[in-house]
Amino acid sequence: MSLWHIAWSYLWNRKLTTVMTVISVALGVALISAVLTLREQTQKRFEEEGQAFDLVVGAKGNPLQLVLSTVYFLDAPVGNIARADMEKIAKMDDVTAAFPIGMGDTYKGYRIIGTVRELMDFKWGGRHPYALASGNYWTKPYEAVIGAGVAQDTGLKVGGTFTGMHGFVQGGGAEEHAEKPYTVVGIMALSGTPNDRAIFCDIASVWDVHEHPADAAGGADAHEHHASDEVTAALVKLATPALRFEFKDKINKGYNVMAAVPVMEIQKLYDQLLGTAKAVLLAIGYLVVVISSMSILIGLYMAILQRRRDLAIMRALGATRGEIFGAVLIEAFWVTLLGLAAGWALGALTCRVLGLYLATKLGFHIAAVSLSADLITAYSAVLLMGLIAGILPAWQAYRTDIARDLAEP
Amino acid sequence: MVVLEQVHRKLGPGVAFACERFHAPEGAQMALWGPSGCGKSTMLNLISGLLRPHAGVIRVDGTEIQKLSESALDAFRGERYGFIFQTFNLLAPFSALNNVLIGMRFSDVIPEKEWKERSKAMLERVNLGHRLHAKPATLSVGERQRVAIARALVNRPRLIVADEPTGSLDPKTANAVMTLLLELCAEEKVTLLLVTHDRGIADRLPDLFDCSGLVKEVAS
Repeated sequence: MSLWHIAWSYLWNRKLTTVMTVISVALGVALISAVLTLREQTQKRFEEEGQAFDLVVGAKGNPLQLVLSTVYFLDAPVGNIARADMEKIAKMDDVTAAFPIGMGDTYKGYRIIGTVRELMDFKWGGRHPYALASGNYWTKPYEAVIGAGVAQDTGLKVGGTFTGMHGFVQGGGAEEHAEKPYTVVGIMALSGTPNDRAIFCDIASVWDVHEHPADAAGGADAHEHHASDEVTAALVKLATPALRFEFKDKINKGYNVMAAVPVMEIQKLYDQLLGTAKAVLLAIGYLVVVISSMSILIGLYMAILQRRRDLAIMRALGATRGEIFGAVLIEAFWVTLLGLAAGWALGALTCRVLGLYLATKLGFHIAAVSLSADLITAYSAVLLMGLIAGILPAWQAYRTDIARDLAEP
Repeated sequence: MVVLEQVHRKLGPGVAFACERFHAPEGAQMALWGPSGCGKSTMLNLISGLLRPHAGVIRVDGTEIQKLSESALDAFRGERYGFIFQTFNLLAPFSALNNVLIGMRFSDVIPEKEWKERSKAMLERVNLGHRLHAKPATLSVGERQRVAIARALVNRPRLIVADEPTGSLDPKTANAVMTLLLELCAEEKVTLLLVTHDRGIADRLPDLFDCSGLVKEVAS
């Protein structure tokens, strides 16, 4: 019969108090776990996707908006840039690829991304996020390849048709391009990237669908402006990531466009905006844990007062003061450990549920369970707080006056 | 086996315990008898090291226990003593078996691999072989005291100190418990010091020490 067994037996003997204390620890741990896991996992996924391209080039404005709209298909595009500028940038030394992106329409909330066929062959980091699960890539305008999430949500299959709605806001009032339907020719494999919730087609489709009748008919300003003169943005790959900042400066100074480094913008987003949210949520989590530690302290302290006679009996049976101190500290350890385990499970469940939501909204598949350095630090801190909470009751037990406590009725 | 010489202990303002000389030979079965408040329980606490004397010598099994450090006294108590209390003092979360087993937990007298078998054997010896896994709350008072006797003897102690062991029992149960205790102490060749205020119980033991007057008023 070890001290662990003795401590466990006393906890089991007051099940209700123990369970309530464990739950209070678990709630704090779950909050900390969920915040840290979600933050770490989403940042990791955002950064992974952000690494695919070295630069995003678009209209001058907010660089984060440009990155979010072009790489993650989240925000509204900033505006258009001259196609000629993009082509010049594509010809710069050390630019290994520049893919035009044309946006303007959606289907049931999913963006229709006009681009070039070459983007579909783009691979990075051993991954091919544009791989097909069925069908083929487009060979002509108005043929579309849809993401796995789009296929699942809309029920579109290879051979199916759809028409785009102008703009990025769902709801009434949007213009539908009913006269120019797209035909689905391919469905992408599930990639766990924003591509899962996008529709890709030849950029000529996007240009054509937005060509004004007056332009096509050779109206007064037909020679001055064609949709095909512009692209929404360009995804740029450089010879090496080390050139990102140099090229960003070059492009920003040399052209009437804005270049942004996706990874840097995402890091800024996390550090400035989400960093504060994380700090607030973590503070709440730790506050809950501190309160839980207080309940461990009070629970154990009361338990020690109630069983002073038991401690005196053990001392009479030969238990040393150190063993008594250790047994009580182990009780605090058990409660904290159970709280940690339950909190970890609850946190993982929370992450799993939120992960499903994120997969729908962002196309990101995040791991519900992870063990980052931040989490290990947090769990260690919780364990330490639990043990500290056990010290006062353990000290009380340590000071057992055997003769007095045995004599009490 | 147990010797007290010139033992003095202040108990409070103007009150002190004082014992000029006491001797219980090895294997003795001795009642420490006297009226309530005479100092017999204080004497038992001093002999078992639960109280420290302010003066004098307390020798148990050849060791002057007042000289032992706290940890050495803990170890000594775990190895040499068995305790039986009026209120049984079983540990509520544990079964009868584990209550007995815990009697060996805090000393190195019995090898760990023998703990379970020896606990079972002791419980069978006190006729509780059928209640091994019963919690104290489900045992009768007589059964609880028999578990306590098994716990006191399981560690092969040299000395059993029993403080009013029949104080909470009805006369019939008390009689049965006393018979069992005396038999077991004789079988195990253990010295027994038993505190009681009941002369009838005291007279069942071969030796008697009258504790009257051990606690005295003194000038503060």
